[in-house]
Amino acid sequence: MTSFAYYPGCTLYTKSKNLDLCARETAQILGVELKELETWNCCGAIFSTVTDDIANQVAPIRNLIEAQKISNKLVTLCAACYNVLKRSNLYLAKAGNETYRKRLMNFLDTEYNGKTEVVHYLETLKYDIGFDNVKAKVVKSLNGLKVASYYGCLMVRPSEELKFDDPDNPVMMDDLFAALGATPVDFPFKGECCGGYILVDKPEVATKCAQTVIENMAASGAECVATTCPLCQYNIDNQQKMMSKQYNLPIFYFTQLLGLALGIDEKILNLNNHFIDPKPLLKQKGLLQ
Amino acid sequence: MIIDETIKKDIEELSGQKLSDCYQCGECTAGCPTAFAMEPVPSQSIRLLQLGKYSELLESAGIWLCAACNVCGERCPRGVDYGKIADACRTIVLRNKVTHITLEKVDKKFILDAPQQAFIAAFRKFTT
Ligand code: SF4
Ligand code: SF4
Repeated sequence: MTSFAYYPGCTLYTKSKNLDLCARETAQILGVELKELETWNCCGAIFSTVTDDIANQVAPIRNLIEAQKISNKLVTLCAACYNVLKRSNLYLAKAGNETYRKRLMNFLDTEYNGKTEVVHYLETLKYDIGFDNVKAKVVKSLNGLKVASYYGCLMVRPSEELKFDDPDNPVMMDDLFAALGATPVDFPFKGECCGGYILVDKPEVATKCAQTVIENMAASGAECVATTCPLCQYNIDNQQKMMSKQYNLPIFYFTQLLGLALGIDEKILNLNNHFIDPKPLLKQKGLLQ
Repeated sequence: MIIDETIKKDIEELSGQKLSDCYQCGECTAGCPTAFAMEPVPSQSIRLLQLGKYSELLESAGIWLCAACNVCGERCPRGVDYGKIADACRTIVLRNKVTHITLEKVDKKFILDAPQQAFIAAFRKFTT
């Protein structure tokens, strides 16, 4: 079995266990082991673009060094971890950044050559496993479930650095759901912001951002949504109660829908950890007893 | 906070952006998800800096409404990234020991409910 270093991050250890557990379980079924780093720390949750801000780069770089003990590839799941870890690596390698790099190295115990390649689990599924091989393992086709794939900001931008997918029309998650038998729903705001951490300071502003996105998905005929980010999930699921209109749109992590199609245990799917209950929809679609 | 001409150099260095590159087309503002509540909006903010009205921007509410979504930087036809300029402006304020939020002011229901990620990000961007 191929093993890749895996970084869960803090939110996946607490509030978003289902995002994490469904990924580990599905990887196992698909013949890949996500080997958690022996020790790791929070990545910082948001990238600092301030050129001299080496303090905020120490934590992510430590994780990249730790990954080297397992593999050159580091798999991430949370969109924010993916964004931060990948960009910190680029910060370190950036031409003209020698002074900052040297200063940063003073805070680390180990030399680091920048060789850790940060990838997202979606990329592992597409490039290492292959969507065809994922399709071959489907035991419960998603049966035309109309899924809006929500990428948000952190998966796709800055595209020059992340090189994940087209920032205005990403399709990687849509292609995965098509392989699982679902019907991907196209909508213009796949990469629009959910309001992010503005929630903490100005919740009404964040909720308005989230409502713009939800409205757009609902108008495009989505029955449910898939996301890669705990904060997107919270802003567009829990905050539906604060919106001026009720949409009743269930919000999944993409690994839950993948897990459902690959037949993993319902306990691991943890369908109770949602504000909008997804079970009625899944029952109606014949995907749940 | 003391604000003088050296602040322009600080903003340009900390953001890696050249303020005079902006030709005020407004594309950044058009795509900004929080522009409806942001005062001044991204293109106006850059204009203030071009005009030397540094304190007006540094003391504004607008710089604290940037969600770091990267849309403005992604779409600017002149290669200017306002998100980085806002990050630099907030950093200058915070390094002057003026904090933007405190834990006491955060809505208690979020503290129990929302993912950790939200607080870590907010406290990184908004506190000294
Ligand atoms: S998009 Fe670029 S050039 Fe146009 S106003 Fe914004 S920063 Fe200036
Ligand atoms: S990075 Fe900030 S200023 Fe730029 S579009 Fe996003 S929220 Fe607006």
